[in-house]
Amino acid sequence: MVRFERIKYKPVPVRELLIEMKDISELMIDLAYSAALFHSHALAEEVLELERQVDTLAYLLDMNAMIAARDAKDAESLVGATVIATATNKISDAAGDIATLVLREIGIHPIVREAFEKVEERLTRVVISPHSVLIGKRIRDLRLASKKGVDIIALRRNQGLKINPEDEEKLQEGDILVARGAPLGVDEFEKIAEGTIRELESR
Amino acid sequence: MKMSDEESFKKIVDMLAELKDTSEIMMDLAYSSILINSKDLANEVQELEDRMDHLHTEFELLVLSRCIKPEESKHFLGLIRLGVVTEKIADAASQIAEVVLRGLEPHPVLGLAIKQAEETVTHVQVSKKSRLAGKSLREAQVHEETGMWVLAIKRADKWLRPKPDIVIEAGDVLIASGYAGGEEELKTLATTEKRPHKK
Repeated sequence: MVRFERIKYKPVPVRELLIEMKDISELMIDLAYSAALFHSHALAEEVLELERQVDTLAYLLDMNAMIAARDAKDAESLVGATVIATATNKISDAAGDIATLVLREIGIHPIVREAFEKVEERLTRVVISPHSVLIGKRIRDLRLASKKGVDIIALRRNQGLKINPEDEEKLQEGDILVARGAPLGVDEFEKIAEGTIRELESR
Repeated sequence: MKMSDEESFKKIVDMLAELKDTSEIMMDLAYSSILINSKDLANEVQELEDRMDHLHTEFELLVLSRCIKPEESKHFLGLIRLGVVTEKIADAASQIAEVVLRGLEPHPVLGLAIKQAEETVTHVQVSKKSRLAGKSLREAQVHEETGMWVLAIKRADKWLRPKPDIVIEAGDVLIASGYAGGEEELKTLATTEKRPHKK
């Protein structure tokens, strides 16, 4: 059973909460489909973790919106934000539904999966191993997009999540990266993160 | 006429792909409609929602019309559930767009957000002489050249998702978001032969 935590009020600007919810829910959709297509429990678990995060943000957003409204005019201008937040939460729930399909082994039909694998870009979740050449490099210097057709779309470090991390960000051992791209480039990138490929140049 | 097994499978795959793409484009467009407070974009989302409802029903009927063997039932349940998910996403997108159509003015909250992040959404039509025409999105390197991300491509009355392999045609309208400074550079790239100044 999932344990539900009590969510305490914290003052956070509504706009910040909304942007964070939007960014996370979009990432979740991509991760969830990839989890279904490549039957990846790791990606599915990541989606469920993010879903819990979005739920917490949704509670916080509602609380902050309630406190921010002083009169009828405020209420009118804030209701838009809460409607959008509710819809965004629904999107993250939808992604969670896909992840649950994967974890319960319901899966999708193998023939359909094959067909999708051909057209879809691949997503991967990698942990940077102590042997990886990625350690200490700035994302910019990797030139992954032009060299391998791979984009790093999220970085998880010490519980914190950065979506579309900055180019200047230096990678560290233990960082978890979510990357997207063409299947070949993604395969290669996984090996670079694991440390089994020790050079960044294409062979 | 009854479709062969193979034909009906191909149809199921195609329809699921279309459901998925449409729901995601709706999501992109819905958020963009909020950011630039555009009723046009919001209306597009509502139109796509009608199309989704129709497509989704057709998809479910198609899956159900197959003679499903007991050992396959889980796999087909998975397909039906994926269809439901796309529908759920589409509904959410349509709710977001509805905020714009009701004139709820989400600006005090969201407008500020754009300014803070210095982010903007813009649309630009690709002209014949543009260096983008005839290139795939991957080759076009729009983000590298301008700092803008392409959210969606409108070709005639169809919306396309910006997948890397998609080839940009003259006449396409690109909807893109990014830092406000990139807007001019994107216009240069889409309407002239020139390269924008690299920073």
